Amino acid sequence: MEKMARVTTALGGNTITGRTMFCHLDAPANAISVCRDAAQVVVAGRNIFKIYAIEEEQFVEKLNLRVGRKPSLNFSCADVVWHQMDENLLATAATNGVVVTWNLGKPSRNKQDQLFTEHKRTVNKVCFHPTEVYMLLSGSQDGYMKCFDLRKKDSVSTFSGQSESVRDVQFSIRDYFTFAATFENGNVQLWDIRRPDRYERMFTAHNGPVFCCDWHPEDRGWLATGGRDKMVKVWDMNTNRAKEIYCVQTIASVARVKWRPECKHHIATCSMMVDHNIYVWDVRRPFIPSAMFEEHKDVTTGIVWRHLHDPYFLLSGSKDSTLYQHIFKDASQPIDRANPEGLCYSLYGDLAFAAKESLISSDSNRKPYIGDRRHPIFFKRKLDPTEQFEYISSSSALSVFETDVESGSMDWFVRTAKQYVLAGRPLAELCDHNAAVAKELDRNQVAQTWTMLRIIYSSPGTVSSANLNHSMGKGSASLPLMNSFNLKDIQSGMGSESRLDRSKGESRPENILMDSSSTLINNDENEETEGSDVPADYLLGDVEGDEDELYMMDHENPHAEEQEYILPQEAFPLRHEIVDNPSALDHLQDKADSPHVSGNEAETVSLTPVESFSLISISHSLYENRLPPDFFSPIVRDMLLFYAEQGDVQMTVSVLIVLGDRIRKEIDEQTQEHWYTSYIDLLQRFQLWNISNEVIKLSTCRAINCLNQASTTLHINCTNCKRPMSNKGWICDRCRQCASMCAVCHHVVKGLFVWCQGCSHGGHLQHIMKWLESSSHCPAGCGHLCEYT
Amino acid sequence: MFVARSIAADHRDLIHDVSFDFHGRRMATCSSDQSVKVWDKSENGDWHCTASWKTHSGSVWRVTWAHPEFGQVLASCSFDRTAAVWEEIVGESNDKLRGQSHWVKRTTLVDSRTSVTDVKFAPKHMGLMLATCSADGVVRIYEAPDVMNLSQWSLQHEISCKLSCSCISWNPSSSRAHSPMIAVGSDDNSPNILAKVQIYEYNENTRKYAKAEALMTVTDPVHDIAFAPNLGRSFHILAVATKDVRIFTLKPLRKELTSSGGLTKFEIHIVAQFDNHNSQVWRVSWNITGTVLASSGDDGCVRLWKANYMDNWKCTGILKGNGSPVNGSSQQGIFNASLGSANTSFQNSLNGSFAGRKQS
Repeated sequence: MEKMARVTTALGGNTITGRTMFCHLDAPANAISVCRDAAQVVVAGRNIFKIYAIEEEQFVEKLNLRVGRKPSLNFSCADVVWHQMDENLLATAATNGVVVTWNLGKPSRNKQDQLFTEHKRTVNKVCFHPTEVYMLLSGSQDGYMKCFDLRKKDSVSTFSGQSESVRDVQFSIRDYFTFAATFENGNVQLWDIRRPDRYERMFTAHNGPVFCCDWHPEDRGWLATGGRDKMVKVWDMNTNRAKEIYCVQTIASVARVKWRPECKHHIATCSMMVDHNIYVWDVRRPFIPSAMFEEHKDVTTGIVWRHLHDPYFLLSGSKDSTLYQHIFKDASQPIDRANPEGLCYSLYGDLAFAAKESLISSDSNRKPYIGDRRHPIFFKRKLDPTEQFEYISSSSALSVFETDVESGSMDWFVRTAKQYVLAGRPLAELCDHNAAVAKELDRNQVAQTWTMLRIIYSSPGTVSSANLNHSMGKGSASLPLMNSFNLKDIQSGMGSESRLDRSKGESRPENILMDSSSTLINNDENEETEGSDVPADYLLGDVEGDEDELYMMDHENPHAEEQEYILPQEAFPLRHEIVDNPSALDHLQDKADSPHVSGNEAETVSLTPVESFSLISISHSLYENRLPPDFFSPIVRDMLLFYAEQGDVQMTVSVLIVLGDRIRKEIDEQTQEHWYTSYIDLLQRFQLWNISNEVIKLSTCRAINCLNQASTTLHINCTNCKRPMSNKGWICDRCRQCASMCAVCHHVVKGLFVWCQGCSHGGHLQHIMKWLESSSHCPAGCGHLCEYT
Repeated sequence: MFVARSIAADHRDLIHDVSFDFHGRRMATCSSDQSVKVWDKSENGDWHCTASWKTHSGSVWRVTWAHPEFGQVLASCSFDRTAAVWEEIVGESNDKLRGQSHWVKRTTLVDSRTSVTDVKFAPKHMGLMLATCSADGVVRIYEAPDVMNLSQWSLQHEISCKLSCSCISWNPSSSRAHSPMIAVGSDDNSPNILAKVQIYEYNENTRKYAKAEALMTVTDPVHDIAFAPNLGRSFHILAVATKDVRIFTLKPLRKELTSSGGLTKFEIHIVAQFDNHNSQVWRVSWNITGTVLASSGDDGCVRLWKANYMDNWKCTGILKGNGSPVNGSSQQGIFNASLGSANTSFQNSLNGSFAGRKQS
């Protein structure tokens, strides 16, 4: 409770101080009311009727009004009200239909003053006239309202609402003769106290019972009503027809409404069921409460502002048998916890961003609204309370940031997925094709990987340089060409001074490459000078190229690094027997005599320097060590893992499929399955159904393979007899005709067959599409208006 | 880099959440005005509001799409203590003509006794499940046993987190090696040093969710949390929006070591921490490959974060809420600062030429 600081309010000589506090009652409260001087509160309920003094630190019980050994039902209160003129005068509405007044000035223990037993059923509400001492109004379940003069024994007038039960009656604060009554059928009536025969005005305020109403303490025209329909409505009664000016939607039926003193637009509400909290709303911001008191553990039954002119102290009684004093400072403010922004990345790299307008307004000098979340506005005391709650414009701006193709967009993914060839051709061709695809999309690292895979896994002899040139020619040829010239220059020692320098110094290039990961090249004597130099030169060349390639550098190095990082693993024994094409070895041996020839002349022309670098170094090592392809399995495996960790599962799965058995055994089934499901999920996101299906078909995981065999059932009808066909094929067993005739060209459809589920007629996808452009009727002439979705 | 397209959302109060659907063609927004709007992307890239309806009787905090395999389904959660599941009805020709679609409420989840602060559908491979979390610190996991019947949801798990919850995120990994996992963030702002991010993992043996980890270093209120799309990674990446942006990696330790206990142990590293927003960070969102993180904060900016090859996360872009890019932001992200001294001059020349090109 330390955080609940003491609050002091000065009210014209009369000072209210206090803190958030509570006391236990003996029984659930039904209603509470405060004395005029704000120092005492009366709590009434079925089994409780007590007056408490509100002291600074606590509630102190002053008086128990339930006296006698066997209290009569008259003590059982549905409502209680303390006269605002006379601090000795109270009235209660008893559950047995009696209206009782109490005089605290009586010397006897029993303070009961007068009994009015005129209502036939429970009295729901009693209300004193705000200025007239002796005038009391009651509203009952029996549908009548009665006005009592406390100097007389009986009621002076009876008002018949002629509709259902009365839930609330309230004298208008400003209009001497007027009171409002609310009814269970959703109506609100306005009465003139002098005319008991007929209401002045009636309107339907709510859907279902109107449980409560409250006149605005300052503005004479405003009446707030709350109903079972969870709404609080504010009506302007000045006009001929009551006009709804505000509507607050709460989360449960509204049991009580009370305007907050000194704050024109604030109103406190509590609920009849489900919700135990008390909310204070700014009616201009009807969706989210400006303050919330969450102390009660059961339904709050009575709320009252402690003082007529003090907006900071609220008293409440509850079914949980507690009486609380709430202080505004301790209120929780839901809007502070509310997120002012929304952000979402779309599939294609677009960003949707919604933010509170004040956050993104370009005028950054504008002072943020004073009710900032860290400084509750309620306690800037110097300000007039009504000003403090200056209406906060609360709206958000929504925008979508769209990426263009070059930057964050996922265009590369879609194009790659569509263009990659994963099966049906020799490995070398697949690799070359895919390398070309990657190249074309400026994904040089990926292209390089494909090229290396080809070199590792296929015999060099099978790749014709023409093929290579062809595939590379599609890409942006100028840059690689330029680079490869650079490369040649260096190799022949004709580069610039600095380049020469670098290519000659053994140690420096290593630094350049390996500074970031100095452990990488350790003992690799095979590493030729030009080999390690080329990446550096490549970087230079890159800068001259287009901007996007800079990004590529980011990828490039880790890759090179990755590859070399792996090299030490050579020392480990191979896990698997050499299973496939031993002929590759022979080829290697055949070709071994002239690796540089093929590397430089035939291939570098079309390769980036790095490619040729790796080509040289690898073929070099191939040449030297005569390594079988399986030697590279750990490297390739790590390469797959690398791509997966980089978020490029497309590359991982594509390589996995292309290499097939060559690498499959190196990776455990579960990981493969994970890759496949991830990639398939991605493809489906991009609605690349055909490719996703192809991947499923080509996958070697059993769990993946069966994906497209589950729950795929086609229900087809014969086009002639319109009967369902058996699953045996396209011949209808009734009319013995082929059912898959195209309705447009009358040929048997092989491949994609599309048909209308209404009339069973269909045909070639292309034909039907064309047909539907001109007519929406069935091409078979059956008169059906075909629907294709 | 980005082209901002402003949309007149026409919500009458703050928008609290924006969510794209699985295919990125539809977008849902939710607001304090108690409504949800659905936006469809037209051929020319414009977003059209095709549905707007009142969903709750309180502020709607979050809206999220289910996997389209289950239909066009949304879930929303609200201050009114409920979460709701909505389905789009097709074939309403009258609405169709006006370009409007009709959404019906399939269920209301009323178990929470306080504001429901987040709702998320589980990854598809787990079936039709969703998780909610509420201000009283309870995470609830519901399942629709029959995916064709969206009105029947059974409460499968209730996890008590002890702290007021503000956000949840499912681990999206589809690998069998990763058991279902959910991260919960708390916006509890009382002055304590309890971990505000907790990670719960499903235990096959006990068939319950149990706390696997707590990120002890996060002690400030957390407003958003997001696992990166997994895409075949062996580890998990988690972004946390608190007073700054943080990125954690969670590497599951080998199963052999942990199989006895049942729960996976994780090696947790914080790989990035940025306070560039200079204020509360409200939202984090990953791109589809889990390589770029977007964050938004009280400064009204969206910042993009990307790792370079050394796993150094850098800012690669700043977007102002009104669409204007902030200058001088994207350069540093491209180069690795930790390159050795041997080639500093080289790098400088690179920088120089790069900057020169920028200006031109």
